[in-house]
Amino acid sequence: MKQILYDKAAPAANSILSVISAFVVGGVILLFIGKNPFTLYGQLFLQGMGSSLGVIETIIKMAPLLMVSAGLLVAFSGGLWNLGVEGQFLMGAILTGWLAPKLVPFLSLPVYFITLGGIGFAGGMIWALLPAILKARYNLNEIIITLMMNYVALNLVTWMVKGPINDLSVVPAQTKLIPMTHRMPMIPFTRIHLGLIIGLIVIIGVYWIIRRTTMGYQIRVLFANKRAAIHTGMNVKRIIVWSLLTSGGFSGLAGAIDVLAIKGLFQGGWNPMYGITCIPLVFLARLNGWAVIPLSYFFSFLVVGGEFVARDQGVPVFFVHVLEGLMLLSFAAGEHIGKGRVT
Amino acid sequence: MNNQPLIRLKAITKRFKGVIANDAVDFDLYPGEVHTLLGENGAGKSTLMHILSGLVQPDSGSIEIRGESVNIRSPYDSLRHGIGMVYQHFALVPNLTVIENIILGFEEGLILNRKRTESVLKQIFKEFELSLPLDEKISNLSVGERQRVEIAKALFHRSDVLILDEPTSVLTPIESEELFNTVFSMRRMGKAVVFITHKLKETIGISDRISILKLGKKVAEMSGEDLRQVGEEEGYRRIFDVMFDNTQLPKDTTTIKRSSEEMPILELDQVVCLGNFGEMRLKKLSLKLNKGEIFGIAGVDGNGQKELAEILAGQRKVVSGRLILDGNDITHEEGAGTRTDLGISYITDDRMQEGCALSMSVAENSILRLFKRPPFSRRKIMNKANINRHAEALIREFDIKVSGPDVDVGTLSGGNIQKILLARELSLHPKVLVCNKPTQGLDAKTTRYVKDRLQQESVRGTAVLFISSDLDELLSCSDRIGVLYDGELLDIVNRCDANRENIGKLMLGIRQ
Ligand SMILES: Nc1ncnc2c1ncn2[C@@H]1O[C@H](COP(=O)(O)OP(=O)(O)OP(=O)(O)O)[C@@H](O)[C@H]1O
Ligand SMILES: [Mg+2]
Repeated sequence: MKQILYDKAAPAANSILSVISAFVVGGVILLFIGKNPFTLYGQLFLQGMGSSLGVIETIIKMAPLLMVSAGLLVAFSGGLWNLGVEGQFLMGAILTGWLAPKLVPFLSLPVYFITLGGIGFAGGMIWALLPAILKARYNLNEIIITLMMNYVALNLVTWMVKGPINDLSVVPAQTKLIPMTHRMPMIPFTRIHLGLIIGLIVIIGVYWIIRRTTMGYQIRVLFANKRAAIHTGMNVKRIIVWSLLTSGGFSGLAGAIDVLAIKGLFQGGWNPMYGITCIPLVFLARLNGWAVIPLSYFFSFLVVGGEFVARDQGVPVFFVHVLEGLMLLSFAAGEHIGKGRVT
Repeated sequence: MNNQPLIRLKAITKRFKGVIANDAVDFDLYPGEVHTLLGENGAGKSTLMHILSGLVQPDSGSIEIRGESVNIRSPYDSLRHGIGMVYQHFALVPNLTVIENIILGFEEGLILNRKRTESVLKQIFKEFELSLPLDEKISNLSVGERQRVEIAKALFHRSDVLILDEPTSVLTPIESEELFNTVFSMRRMGKAVVFITHKLKETIGISDRISILKLGKKVAEMSGEDLRQVGEEEGYRRIFDVMFDNTQLPKDTTTIKRSSEEMPILELDQVVCLGNFGEMRLKKLSLKLNKGEIFGIAGVDGNGQKELAEILAGQRKVVSGRLILDGNDITHEEGAGTRTDLGISYITDDRMQEGCALSMSVAENSILRLFKRPPFSRRKIMNKANINRHAEALIREFDIKVSGPDVDVGTLSGGNIQKILLARELSLHPKVLVCNKPTQGLDAKTTRYVKDRLQQESVRGTAVLFISSDLDELLSCSDRIGVLYDGELLDIVNRCDANRENIGKLMLGIRQ
């Protein structure tokens, strides 16, 4: 019995330890750049978790993190390292920002939201298509290709909002503003938009698909042993394409919802870089959909709290990304040590 | 023989989740002796030796080396104490050359003093009767050669103790003989060898001492000399008595002959296929398999056996020629899934790299070929309860040593992983069963069981293509034997005309 409990607890322990050690190492870095880590962390927690503004902002920000993580979960469960979620996110976002104002006069609200969700999803899928095909057909490394696609996406969307889809009535490079009546509705009695609910449904749904459906099973076999998948007659190419496209789709959906709920338009130069946050998140969750939820809250808190602190203390905003990176590093180190011990 | 043991394991106990792999095991090893470990699949042989090689830490018990109590915390530690191990599923770096692999992990002299290393190795090769191409890449070597690289590596590290975990289960009989020569020269040099095997003949042939494990406990120690004295039959009986609970091994039923009518079910017509590097592996091979027969394929490894199996299983393309199943041309119905649906099953000889997903559970592995069919899934949703029931039935039927269907396959013992493959493919009841070395790594009782099962399948009408490099095994259960040499079927010999001599000659490419 004790053994079983230990086995359940050990994985979580490594995740928690990685978070702690990232904070410690991050603190040392802060000391080096002449900041007091205690005041800084103190303020981070105080504002991120102690103030109602911080908490609400944190919860709102969970929505895109949940959706992007769901996308990563699909790909990572198959051992497909989709590092192109940023580009996929942007494609979903820009298509939504561009097409939403055009659709406003024609569609009833529910149809409008569903259509735009689909458009965002499709945008993400399109951006994952090339890496998916190259991986499936020529076994080209998807890490490099998805990563490169991010830069292409970033330049493409910047060019698009400056030229072809620019709202000419305003000076900044951006798309037309979506009217307030056609923004994402709020969860009743709160200031939190429905994206949170969608995000929760998506992550649980995706995790269920991975655990319980034949497609999810094939994805897991692909990860465990590609040769065994081929040996037992699975259509490996189809699995690769399916899971990379789905992965891109959920990032695109996150983009659509951020535009519909928060921004109301697509702005040149906008790139929230959810990939950098969600990749460590999904690893720390050990590809477990349920664990993604509390971790999303925590990472969202880091991002939100980090913004507050950055403003007040003059620490670069990307310090949070440094922390996230450190978590991933110590997690990998912990796994390595753990492995050596167990076998 | 010396009085002081080189190695003394005292009361070693090791538990894994739900199983006790070693239960207060004592084990001594003296200089200049070959100590063989016997035991059923999952008895704890590999685990005991992993403890000595530092891969596994014991829960309790002590290790003494040359009278001194030591802690072995890692394989590096054990190497420093002069213990080298060739693992059951060994791993070398495939992109490096032989010599690079041998010196890999040598702290001192990493700056390759090529000349010196080479001369040391040459000396070692001579002393221990090994031979290896030093500059060949590992990926171009046969399994037997890779094993020799591992041995050379241990000797290069000046190990006094060499642990060989089921070395002969992947070797051809000739390669085994060569290995024994190396083992004997080690014994002459005063080194000690631990030898794990399931083959009783070689056990009696080469052992000075034999320890038998059963369910993690050491149940007997015998002297090899005594067993050689009482003769083979009596020797086997004594070992079986302890290994399998005094139950006599079931009589070999594979010699019982059925009347087989000639009804071709599968036909290969002038089949040509290429290997992984584009070289021609099957050269216009033609062959007719009859319903209900066991057709043995003999040959030295690497003469096209794997390619033959893979084109039938749909994993490899046929360049020219035709495959005909039940009168239908299936040459272009490729893909392993399609062939499974057509009724062709394939038991691969590579259980670790290809046959299983080691990090997934026994249940999930048991339905790798069946997951799309009810009752395992309906409308693309998996039914966990049915899958578990199926896995539990296979576990019972094949007596797989595992605490439940949720356990990861990777934690099972080698032989038990092999049983998972067999159980999975046999449960499909195919029309044609292709099996490549299906009994490798199985204990004597299970080997017998598997041969019986193949026999039963063939009685049901299945055509079995039985590929093996073990002649005795082929002779004992095939109706006909075809000899594959350099991608060609040199000859097909009927069971009554086949013997070790004529098949052996054909295997070397000598036509009568
Ligand atoms: N890492 C592990 N985790 C859990 N169980 C394990 C692990 N390693 C071994 N076992 C279990 O310990 C038992 C003994 O395994 P071991 O590999 O020592 O058997 P073996 O005698 O070498 O068998 P074989 O002849 O099949 O190779 C088995 O029941 C196996 O499932
Ligand atoms: Mg073993």
